[in-house]
Amino acid sequence: MKSNQEHFTLSRVAAAVLAVCLSPSWSFAQEEGADELTRAHSSVEVGVAAPSAASAKFGEYNGLSKVEGGVVLNANIRGGDAYGAGTGSQRWELKASDLGTTSRELGANYSDQGQWNIGFNYDELKHNLSDTYQTPYTGAAGSNSFTLPGFGLAPNTTTLSGPQLGAYQNVNIDTTRKNTSVNAGVEINSRLGLKFDYNHLEQTGSKLMAFGSAGFASSGTAPAGEAVSILPNPTQYQTDTVNLAVNWTGDNANMTAAYYGSIFRDGYDRVNFTTFATANNLQTMSTAPGNDFHQLSLSGGYGLTPTTKLTGSVSTARNTQNDAFVVDSFMYVNTGTAPGNANTSLGGVVVTQHADLKLTDKTTRDLTLSAGYKYDLRDNQTASAIYNFQAIGANNIAYYPNTPLSFRKNQAELAADYRLDKTQRVRLAYNREDVARWCDQYAVGGSNYPAGTNCVVAVSSNDDKLSATYRAMATEELATNLGYSYSKRVTTSDPNAIVSMIGVRGGDTGSTVGTIKGLNGGDYLGFYPFFDASRTQQMTKAGFNWQANDALTVGFSARYTDDRYDSLYGVQSGNGRGVNVDATYTYTENSSVTAYVTQQSNERQLTSQQRSIAQGAGAASATAIAIPAGATWTNNLKTEDLTLGISSRKGGLMGGQLDLVGDLSYSLGRSSYGTVLNYSTATTGGVVCSDPRILSCGNLPDIRAEVVSFKLTGHYQVDKASKVALGYLFQKLSSEDYLYNGLQYGSNPSSMLATNQAAPNYSINAVTLTYIYNF
Amino acid sequence: MKKISKLLAACALLTGLFSAPAWAQDNNLPELAAGATKSALAQEALKKDAVCTKCHDESENAPILSLYQTKHGVRGDPRTPTCQSCHGASDKHLKGDTSGKGRPAPDHVFKKGVYSASGDKERADQCLSCHKGGKRNNWDGGQHQNAGVACNDCHVVHRPKDKLQDKKTQTEVCYSCHKDQRADGKKLSHHPIAEGKVACSDCHNPHGSTGPKMLKKNTVTETCYQCHAEKRGPFLFEHQPVSEDCANCHTPHGSNITPLLKSRAPFLCQECHDGTHASGTPAGPNAAGRQGGLSSTNAATPPAALYPSKNLVGNACMNCHRQVHGTNSPAGGYLQR
Repeated sequence: MKSNQEHFTLSRVAAAVLAVCLSPSWSFAQEEGADELTRAHSSVEVGVAAPSAASAKFGEYNGLSKVEGGVVLNANIRGGDAYGAGTGSQRWELKASDLGTTSRELGANYSDQGQWNIGFNYDELKHNLSDTYQTPYTGAAGSNSFTLPGFGLAPNTTTLSGPQLGAYQNVNIDTTRKNTSVNAGVEINSRLGLKFDYNHLEQTGSKLMAFGSAGFASSGTAPAGEAVSILPNPTQYQTDTVNLAVNWTGDNANMTAAYYGSIFRDGYDRVNFTTFATANNLQTMSTAPGNDFHQLSLSGGYGLTPTTKLTGSVSTARNTQNDAFVVDSFMYVNTGTAPGNANTSLGGVVVTQHADLKLTDKTTRDLTLSAGYKYDLRDNQTASAIYNFQAIGANNIAYYPNTPLSFRKNQAELAADYRLDKTQRVRLAYNREDVARWCDQYAVGGSNYPAGTNCVVAVSSNDDKLSATYRAMATEELATNLGYSYSKRVTTSDPNAIVSMIGVRGGDTGSTVGTIKGLNGGDYLGFYPFFDASRTQQMTKAGFNWQANDALTVGFSARYTDDRYDSLYGVQSGNGRGVNVDATYTYTENSSVTAYVTQQSNERQLTSQQRSIAQGAGAASATAIAIPAGATWTNNLKTEDLTLGISSRKGGLMGGQLDLVGDLSYSLGRSSYGTVLNYSTATTGGVVCSDPRILSCGNLPDIRAEVVSFKLTGHYQVDKASKVALGYLFQKLSSEDYLYNGLQYGSNPSSMLATNQAAPNYSINAVTLTYIYNF
Repeated sequence: MKKISKLLAACALLTGLFSAPAWAQDNNLPELAAGATKSALAQEALKKDAVCTKCHDESENAPILSLYQTKHGVRGDPRTPTCQSCHGASDKHLKGDTSGKGRPAPDHVFKKGVYSASGDKERADQCLSCHKGGKRNNWDGGQHQNAGVACNDCHVVHRPKDKLQDKKTQTEVCYSCHKDQRADGKKLSHHPIAEGKVACSDCHNPHGSTGPKMLKKNTVTETCYQCHAEKRGPFLFEHQPVSEDCANCHTPHGSNITPLLKSRAPFLCQECHDGTHASGTPAGPNAAGRQGGLSSTNAATPPAALYPSKNLVGNACMNCHRQVHGTNSPAGGYLQR
């Protein structure tokens, strides 16, 4: 991001408005009569917005990133015979907001309440991702073809020639989402209603993604070396969504039958790019395939007795994808020896099903009981076949099946909520979750993937959770709560599962059929991914809300979580803490001050076995530092986030004509990684962590982001119908991120093309001046 | 003077309600039969409301009559409640001070003021007596109900605008309890929530749901696919944690690490992989504070060629394995295409 450290100077227009605001003027007493309180109120706001500088990050979502000045146009116009003294039931509304920016929204709705309603909405959102990205590739962002300048580039990107460096150009990276929707509803009678909505989402633009390319040896037949270009991956997406629901409400029961459909299409079926490695070959990257999702659901509730209710729902969905395969001729090895290579599309089918049932009982005044059950299934019915392909970095003909994963969750809950007395309640709950994972079909081929092989390591798990919550009104002004939960997840793993990924014993190739590799998902035995590993989790939380007096309220909450994983390698533990304090002081009917502080911190400890024992990390040669077999390293992640805020509103100034609203917030986020090698310097011949030949341990510089935001808005009542609003916004972002260091030319890896992106930093003032007419 | 103006205003309202306007009278226009029905409905409802509004008029500090700008104030809709539909018949309150101990509270009090508020279940039951089913099907036993939250703890009924109904203001209500999410929303990487483009209710159903974390949909992935359908697949080559739960890697409310990540590659990847080529390689800073260890190629003559490894810089693992959400390329078994 560009650094913009500019100082704000009031424009002449703004000064003139201030002069108007501060000048002696008439005041009026506004009495709100019954008519005023019951009629339809409308407003139109027009004006200008002027930021002091352009910045993608400042305008990431607010539509003001690249404008020197924009038009503010907001409107809300209402009418109909159901307002004021009207006796009808019809109302209509026109809405518009931020029309002069790239975050514009426009909508309208009309209803005859109790009979029918229709609506329309258009919403636009530009997401600015970067304005510092550079590339020598030609091909505008949003296209699907990127080519290098005619002179080509050397594989070693840290030694580009003058003309090659001169080919670098700035490319703004952004996406734009445009949502167009219509909705309608009909109340067929007092019990039966129909609702419909349709949304068309169009997303254009691009996002930065890495394109690893296969560098080919001089023979041009086998990969040799790899090169990485970070390019604007196009997002020519269209998603059409339909919701249709029939609601029935009886005296003692209700039911909803619904259809949800979502159709996704990508405007591009591939991205072509030339690699700078070796001969600048044109290569192909796949894009997101189009897919369809259709879901039918039925939900409802029934009152068994006045105090006992049964609710439940069932749904089934079918998700399909059958786009033609687009192959990269450099990496796709169509030898015909693998069954999958004859396929031209996937014919992918995933069926998801859900069912739940919940019984709640409030037979006694003090005790509420509930029992619930939930079932979720993802049944991936896609066929599995074995495919041949190359890795981008080396001649490595892989011989792998696709892994159409299915899983099923069964969850049960029993809970009791007991009122100890008029001011105290306690809730006890037990939850059980069982997960099973499998593949309906898993392609087998020779001894690589023998029959009966699992396609997933963590084949099942069960999680038992107990929780208790205590709530008390210590006094009528002081509400307190305290909670604790303990959960234990036990996972059953199959270390003989061969997952179609490379691994310590993976990398099976067609030429080495007969050697079973990739056991335990390609990981060392004893390593489990954190998300499905066995673990215990404890959580404690407490808080209170205190209404000290009519003017002052104070809130406090704190939580602590602790996770312990039962894994020899992988994530070992994690914990999280959070503390919040809020206070609001309301000193007049329309004047108040609110202040808050939130402190969050998290830690995660990871231990892993050293991957390569032959090649020391950062070693000058394979034998320079001999890492012992079985050696481990540990990485700790720490995040600290501090958020402060103070907001104030002051009404009734200048004889009741001026209202001021101010908001100041501060956010500081820090994430740090530290790596420790768990072997002695004697092993490394005395070379310590800080030695340039190691460089794979120690603490990385903090990822740091500091955001200050100050907003002040004044509304001056010119007359009964008109207001002038003057707004001032100051935002400053200071960020540091080691990620960008390695992207600079001269500091980047030799086989990765520099993009010269910079960490976002800005300091921007913005002024808005608007006229508001209420009628 | 204030009392007089109150009295005049009350008279005007009562006059408006019970005498003058044409809409309050049966008329002689037979072709307006439907309108006449609505008119009659309105007249009847307003008569009932007048029991309360003769005292609780436009002079009240708390908004009372502005309810008629809301959906609850559409008198031509036969479902529209009267004051007593929600607050109860409140006979003792209407009868007034008969014992010298002050006017008793209405049957159902929604907000603490002169009277103590009714209990959360009592307040919620008043709303749920009409608002049955649909989005509220799972209110009973849901997290908000369990936490002692009632409808009017979040919604306002008498004011013309309910902050929850507007994406730009909804978070003001949700953040009054969900403080961690308020802080998350101010982090460097966030959904456009503060900018009013995404609201909590786009993903969550605060009235209770069958999904985790009160999500609108049955699962996390179904919820995310509403907007990110390009991640839905099914893909030829899938990635297990992606198929199961987006939140395995992402933290949707905000993060210091773009894009909404819990951690950064290669460390994020190393939480699940240690067998594949670089996934078991430790990573740290080099001499210039760059990420990662040295490239074995360029470390041959340290420190003259201290180039970091491409496995650990930039997108790290995703420099090559970029299709982490899945791919439809038959050459994509390593998620490289």
